[in-house]
Amino acid sequence: MANALFYILSVGAILAAAGVIASRNPVMSVLSLLGSFFCIAVIYLLAGFQFLAAIQILVYAGAIMVLFLFVVMLLNLGDPEGEAAREPMFHHGRRAFLAMGTSVAILVAGLVAVLNTSFPAIDPAVAETGNDPVGQLAIAMFGRYSLPFEAASVLLLATTVGIMVLAKRQRTPRTQGERA
Amino acid sequence: MTVPTEHLLILAGILFTIGVAGFFLRRNLIVVLMSIELMLNAANVTFIAGSRQHSTAGDLNLDGPIFAIFVIAVAAVEAAVGLALVIALFRRRQLVMLDQVNELSG
Repeated sequence: MANALFYILSVGAILAAAGVIASRNPVMSVLSLLGSFFCIAVIYLLAGFQFLAAIQILVYAGAIMVLFLFVVMLLNLGDPEGEAAREPMFHHGRRAFLAMGTSVAILVAGLVAVLNTSFPAIDPAVAETGNDPVGQLAIAMFGRYSLPFEAASVLLLATTVGIMVLAKRQRTPRTQGERA
Repeated sequence: MTVPTEHLLILAGILFTIGVAGFFLRRNLIVVLMSIELMLNAANVTFIAGSRQHSTAGDLNLDGPIFAIFVIAVAAVEAAVGLALVIALFRRRQLVMLDQVNELSG
């Protein structure tokens, strides 16, 4: 039952991810990405990572996607009659397709490698209940991983300052060369 | 669920390649940022698969979920900075298409 649900959700996540890059309207892209994140969150839940599933929904679906949607709406990019709707969606240079072909080749190589590796069977107790006890996670986060935790907080602080600098309106009058 | 690790890794690989495709082929800067989020999610699925594989009932491996949480934090930071840059660019030049941003190309 859970296994069947995993395969259904995998197909859903892949289709939604394809919808992100295939849809012309950025609002539809954001909503497809949201669907993909929800499918992945339920996969985490099935695999037994309940806390991670909650974080995925709260941070990704709650915060990051709202940020994307806000920017799309702010810049009025979802307008199907707008000028952007008539422009081509994709790069059509040879280099773009070269990069794409290379990455698909790497994917195929990775799939061959994965399918040729024999993984030992997962511990049945872990397979059923998962391994995401929040208490142990907190002990590890504030004990063994306290240095990366502090580094993440410094990163967040630096980001906040950086975004305030970026978002601040320029008060100095623009020069002529800047206008052109 | 008793899905083997291989299938989780295959899912992650396919999601990552879709993200790479969006990154290289789309012209809209916002969709490119969304493709990066897709790639980071694929990396998280891989961490989960590894953590699940290496756990036993007596000795749980918590590296996977912890790294996934850090990846989510970095993804949030990256999205915030990227979207601030998009807004700054739009305010200055009124465009979001990547190949029109060519001031620095020689």
